[in-house]
Formats: sequence, C-alpha cells, structure tokens
Amino acid sequence: MDALSWLLLLICSLAGLATAIGMISLAKGNKSKATLSLMIIVFISECAFLYLRGEQRGKCPLGDWGEILMFIAWSLTMFYLVIGSTYRVSLLGFFSAPFVFIFAAICLIPGVLEKNVVREAGDALTVDYWGELHSALAVLSYGSFALAMIVAVMFLALNKKLKDKTLSGGLFNNLPPIHTLTVLCNRLLWLGLVILTAGIMSSFLMEDFSSHQSHLWTAIAVWLVYLIFLTYKLLSGMQPKTFAIACCLIFFGSLIPFALL
Amino acid sequence: MTLYCIGLNHETAPVEIREKFAVPAPKQGAFSKEIAQLDGIEEAVVLSTCNRTEVYLTTEDIKKADYDIKKYLIDDLEQAHLDSYFYQISAADAIRHLCDVVSGINSMVLGETEIFGQVKEAYRQAHGSSATGGLLNKLFQKSFSVGKKVRNQSNIQIGQTSVGSVAVDLAEKIFGHLKNSMVMVIGAGEMSRVTAQSFKSRGAKTIFVANRSYDRAVELAKELDGEAVRFDDWEKVMQKVDVVVSSTGAPHAIVHAEHVEAVRKSRKYRPIFFIDIAVPRDISPEVNKFEEVYLYDMDTLQQLADEGKNRRQEQVLVCKNIIEDEIKTISMISQNG
Repeated sequence: MDALSWLLLLICSLAGLATAIGMISLAKGNKSKATLSLMIIVFISECAFLYLRGEQRGKCPLGDWGEILMFIAWSLTMFYLVIGSTYRVSLLGFFSAPFVFIFAAICLIPGVLEKNVVREAGDALTVDYWGELHSALAVLSYGSFALAMIVAVMFLALNKKLKDKTLSGGLFNNLPPIHTLTVLCNRLLWLGLVILTAGIMSSFLMEDFSSHQSHLWTAIAVWLVYLIFLTYKLLSGMQPKTFAIACCLIFFGSLIPFALL
Repeated sequence: MTLYCIGLNHETAPVEIREKFAVPAPKQGAFSKEIAQLDGIEEAVVLSTCNRTEVYLTTEDIKKADYDIKKYLIDDLEQAHLDSYFYQISAADAIRHLCDVVSGINSMVLGETEIFGQVKEAYRQAHGSSATGGLLNKLFQKSFSVGKKVRNQSNIQIGQTSVGSVAVDLAEKIFGHLKNSMVMVIGAGEMSRVTAQSFKSRGAKTIFVANRSYDRAVELAKELDGEAVRFDDWEKVMQKVDVVVSSTGAPHAIVHAEHVEAVRKSRKYRPIFFIDIAVPRDISPEVNKFEEVYLYDMDTLQQLADEGKNRRQEQVLVCKNIIEDEIKTISMISQNG
C-alpha cells in the first residue's frame, strides 16, 4: 500500500473509532472527550492526504469521486472544528465522524480513487487558477451544507424527544438547545451559499468555460434552490421541523445531479 | 480529642422546631466562637440552613459537651422536650455525616448543590472567628474535596426534582439561556408564582402576568418585576412571548388551537413552550399538533420530576461508596490530628 492508502485507512479508522467511542459515551450518558482529539488527528491526516494527492495531480485534487468525497470530508471536519468549539456543540463531532468514516470507507473501495494519476503537464502559468478556485470553493460550500444537514439531523432528534416527552438518556442530555441548533443550521446554510456564490463567480473567469457548462448550470441551480429556500425562511419564517427536513432533502437532492453528470 | 456533631434537620424535626434553632447566616461565625469558648470544647463550626442546624466540635468529654451545647441551644428548661429532635454523632460517623451533608445526599432535595456553598460559608465564618483549629480545618477542607469528588464521579445532581425546575430546564433545552426569553403567566395563583419565580431566577427577560382579577395580576407582576396584562389581552401578548405558563382555576380550557393558529404567522413560527400546571387543564392538548409548539402538562412535569428523584435516589449508593473510600483517609487525619 502507498502512503495515500495508509492515510485513507488511518482517517477511516480514526473516524470509525470516534463514532464508536461517541456512541458508547452517549449510551453511558456522558460526553466523549476523545472525539475532539481524534477529529483533530483526522483533520491533519485529511490535509496530508489532499496535499499528497494535489502533488500527484499537479492541481487541486478534485479530479475523481474519491477526491471530491475526501475534499467534502475535509471541509466537514474543518467546519466542525471551527463551529463546534465556537458554539460549544461538542456533540457535532459525534454526528460528523460517521460521515467522515463513510466517505473515507467509500474511497477505499477499489476504483473510487483513481490509481494512476497523471500529473498535469506544463508550468505554473498554464494552470487555470480560476478553475481551481471554482472547484475548491464549490466543494467547500458543500462541506458547509453537509454540516448544516448534520445539525438539522441533531435538531430532528432533539425535537422528536421533546415532542414525545422521552427526555432521558445521553443523547437528550448532551444535545444543545433547539434554538442553538436552528440558528447554527441557518448560519451554516448562509455561509455555504456565500462560498458557493464566490465559487460560481470565479467560474465565469475560467479559461475553459464552455467545457464545464453542465457542471456550472447544475451549481447555479443548487445555488438558486438554497437562495430561494433561505430567503423564504428569512422573510416568512418556517416551522423549525420543516426547515430541518428541507435542509436534509436539499442537501441530498443537490448531490444527485452532480452524481449523474 | 473526639469529633462530635449535634444537630437537627428536616428528617428529625418539623419546620416549627427547626426555626427555633435557626442561626442567621451572618452570625454563624459568632455562634461558632461562643461555642468554642465553652469549657471543654476546643473547636466548633455552626452550620445553619433552612433544613438543618448543626454544630461540629471537638472535645475530650462528649457527655459534658453534649450537655453544654444543649444548654446553650435550649436555654429554656421548659422546652427540654425539644431534646428528642436532636441527633448526636461522633468520630467516624460524624465525619461520614459531614461528607453526606456536603455532597447533598443528606438534603431534603437529594443532590442539591446549594448546601456545598452553605457549608463552605459556615466554615469560612467559623475559621474567620478563630473558632476552628487543626482538626476541624483539615476535616472541613477534606469534606469539600469529597463533595467535589462525589459530584464529579456520580450523577447525583442530574435531572430536576421539582415541577418548576423541570419546566425551566425544558425551556432551556428549547431556547438555550433564558435571558432573551419572555414569559407569560396566565393566572396569578401560588403555582404560577412559584413557576414564574423559577424563570425569573434563571434570568428570563420579561414576565407578563395575565389574570381575571387585574389587581392580583398587578400584585404578582410587581413581585416578579414584570408587567401586568388585562385578561382580555393575553392573546395579543402570546405573539411575542416564548413561554406560556398557565395555572388558572377555570373549569375548562382557556388556550385553544385556534388561538395559537392565529399568532403562528406573525411569530414566524418561532418555538413556543406551553406549561399547563392547572387541573383541570387550561391548554387544549390539540395545541401540541403544531410543529413549533411544545406542550407539557402537570402530570408530565410531575412524572419527570419523580423520574429525576428516582435517578438521584439510585445514585445515593454510588455516592456512599465514594464517601466510604474517602473516609478511610479522613479517619487517619482525625486520628493524627
């Protein structure tokens, strides 16, 4: 196995371990103190992975599905590390770790990550920086949307417990308040939208604009859906549960066209 | 030198007896000093809370100290029958008792944390009055570390045990901190007052009081530093509040689904927490069908409070084991002291 495979295995194992430890801690009614440490190591490993892969490609590593998944996993972990400590949402790590684990596990499946990557020929001047920036920002925005979806799932779990009046257990005790989750989800969606806006704008400056039109139109469609959704919420308000469910559906729905392309 | 504890608490004496022996909080140090100056007594700490009055002391002669303390506390001989309300504990049992008290497992509300601060304050005053010496200093310091250990290593303080506290905890689970929350109380009876006070103590921003008798609403609002609302206006106020506590004596429901429906849009579907502590219920159960509404009635809140009590009761054994382990080291201190 090469260094990249070892790194993937490490990311997969640590994220899996963080998930397992988180579940055991929750079952005991405690918060897992190990999750944050494990996720920091996961983040460092993801950085190393993307750096090595980028070196192999000679450009931003977003050339196949494996790289896209790892980039989303990286941005998801990064947003968790920033947001989790800012909003004191420690349980976000427990909810994020399984997604990182799944993404890394998918990348380990033969064929998902291209084996023999050909390094882009040419010098630095020939690299289309706007194209690179567009790809990186678009995937980064998906990290934000993905984390918003995870927060929405946390909201739905707590909301169900409050509605059903089943108020015991580690999950209930450790989940942050409904208000915090709603605000956090909303802010992550706006952050994702801003990043995606920047990503789309940078795409208009790409040299090879015409060959990426289908991707670009899909990105614009996703951007439009999020814009309408968030504007409606801002102006008219929305029932919190509807908002959370819509947040999950839009995220998964927005993945489908990219998968088909 | 033997450690000795004499006192009475909520388990041995009713409130009308306990209040006879209550020592005002700022005077605990002075009382400790006076007791420490009694013949044959070396050191003393007086602890007085609403549920207990206890004297911890060190002496060579327990019998004499017991007599002197009772004489000091019960100066009227006609009240000698009060003697039966007191308990006397010495040596390792007294250490164990102190640890139980500090840990909150000897409290009326099992696991409550306030007692920890109260014991600390009593000791601080006694120490400040030079009523303590080597033995009580070491014992109290150690008991504080035992108290912390018990709270850190057990779940004795998890879950609430009263209806008011459960309601406020639930509100915090919905809205986070309550300092931006507005609360409306419908009905100005005792239950409304107690629940509203729980919200006030956790920092609720504004409390509105609506009552059929406006004068009573004004009275309670004044007490809570809130705003009185005429009973006909409660529906309008519901547009802006986060929590509605209802406890009227009405024989039928007051808040119906249509009342909530009417304000949902203007509230932009913000969550609203209804606490119905009236029997018969004031709030129609239909209200709970709205996604953003969380409705809890008296039975549910009482059940949650009972579950909290049971969970704490289950933790007592865990706490006792921690204390027993720690007592071994404390006993060594007291013997070497």
